[in-house]
Amino acid sequence: MSNTTPPPVPPTGPGSPRDVPPVPGSYPIDPATLPDPIRDELLAPDPVAIDTAAAELKDGANRCPKCGATDIRQRPGTDLLICLYCRNEWHGQRVEEEFGFGEGLDELTGTVIASGARDIDTDVSSLMTYKCTGCGAEVTVNTESTMTARCHWCRHVFGVNEQVANGAVPDAVLPFHIKKDDAVARIRQFVDKRRLFALKEFKEQFTPENVVGVYLPYMIVDGKASADVAGRGEIKTREYTQGSGDKKKTYYDADIYEVERHVDFTVDDLPLESSTERGNLDTGVNTNNIINTILPFDTKNAVKWNASYLSGYTSEKRDTDVEQLRPRLEDQLLSIARCQVEESVNRFDRGVRWEQERLDVHGTRWVAMYLPVWLYSYQQGGKGGMLHYIAVNGRTGETMGSVPVQQWKLLLAAITVGTFLEGIALWMLGSST
Amino acid sequence: MSDDGGLALLLLGPAGGAGLYWMLYRYYRNTDKSHAFERETVVDAKPVTGAERDRKVDEIKGTRESRIQGDNLRDYRKRVQRIRGDSS
Repeated sequence: MSNTTPPPVPPTGPGSPRDVPPVPGSYPIDPATLPDPIRDELLAPDPVAIDTAAAELKDGANRCPKCGATDIRQRPGTDLLICLYCRNEWHGQRVEEEFGFGEGLDELTGTVIASGARDIDTDVSSLMTYKCTGCGAEVTVNTESTMTARCHWCRHVFGVNEQVANGAVPDAVLPFHIKKDDAVARIRQFVDKRRLFALKEFKEQFTPENVVGVYLPYMIVDGKASADVAGRGEIKTREYTQGSGDKKKTYYDADIYEVERHVDFTVDDLPLESSTERGNLDTGVNTNNIINTILPFDTKNAVKWNASYLSGYTSEKRDTDVEQLRPRLEDQLLSIARCQVEESVNRFDRGVRWEQERLDVHGTRWVAMYLPVWLYSYQQGGKGGMLHYIAVNGRTGETMGSVPVQQWKLLLAAITVGTFLEGIALWMLGSST
Repeated sequence: MSDDGGLALLLLGPAGGAGLYWMLYRYYRNTDKSHAFERETVVDAKPVTGAERDRKVDEIKGTRESRIQGDNLRDYRKRVQRIRGDSS
């Protein structure tokens, strides 16, 4: 870890991903009070996400890719899986069992790094040249974007399967479940809810069929840690009003407490972007927070790396090492700890101000994984225009996106509503005097 | 009607307009969204300890604030002073 460069400081301030995201479906203004067209947009249904968080994930209901049945057994003595319904056979060892990634969280010590998550050797080129096993011709694969290639001479298809030190080959891959048609439908549904104030050019050029399937590189981290937080909490002892009529004011008395909390916890499968570009979540310059939002994936069902899963899709390459991601992991572990202790300070009804925090990471386990994302992108022109993404989680179908707005329309609506409210206010003032 | 109330009422228009703008902007651009890892990660936590050491240190009388100053209970991601230990 001597020659690693520290990661860029994450953006802060309002609107940055440093804010805890709101609970889905909650709005700062009650939609019922808004004009009809706006309310209809807000209340239209969202694309449905499949819940993979529960039991289904634990028992690993891997479906047969041919018939969808889950009655699947390992064929004895081979690495093949067999569908007992349609007799279809295919490869697919879940890394969870294969390498025991789901177990022993409580006994984690030190830093365990899976072979595909090792430090990247900068000398290794991303262009890999292979001798075609079919005819002996040389074929080059650019691992920056693809992991399979077809030999120009004999049409033989092969993939990059051995782990090379340039970070292109992860430990595991989570194959796409959501089909392209489904992704297109979800993107369309998402955008249909956001048409009223959308940029005109965006609406004109909207072709969700251009969505591309991308495997994005992530580090899936298990960790065992303990955290201490300390601060002040206040309990209200009395509430009273003084003065009368318009001069009425409310006062509070309160007891101040010194508060300390300690929590030991383990985290299972926390995903971190392992591409520097994707990990930059500054909403002022990009919309990568959109892709960040569709996390998490049912990473329990990931299968051992096999480049065949990537044929027909593009991929991005990992370019960060474990040590560079560690600050972000610690930051997220602290956030999780703060969330965990929240309930234990319920009795401080005037809130708690945490002033100090401490994190001891006892052990971590890092696995490099390619996760499937359907990406639709729109490059907004003009000054301050950025690349807007609409992303669909390739497993759960969770959909999130950034739709560029037509500023003048939005301003006009805001001013109209503002003027209307001001009119009511003036009328009330006028009638009261 | 008092001046305070009148002023607040006059601010209704600009505040409503700005609020609507901000809400719709976020609804389209989703700049406030990110992975809610605090809620969405499988966390297995042992019972939180430390409640028995809560110690009353002071009291305040007659404040007009309804919440503690600098309340960051739910701002999980706002980092505060980090104490570095030997093992971290």
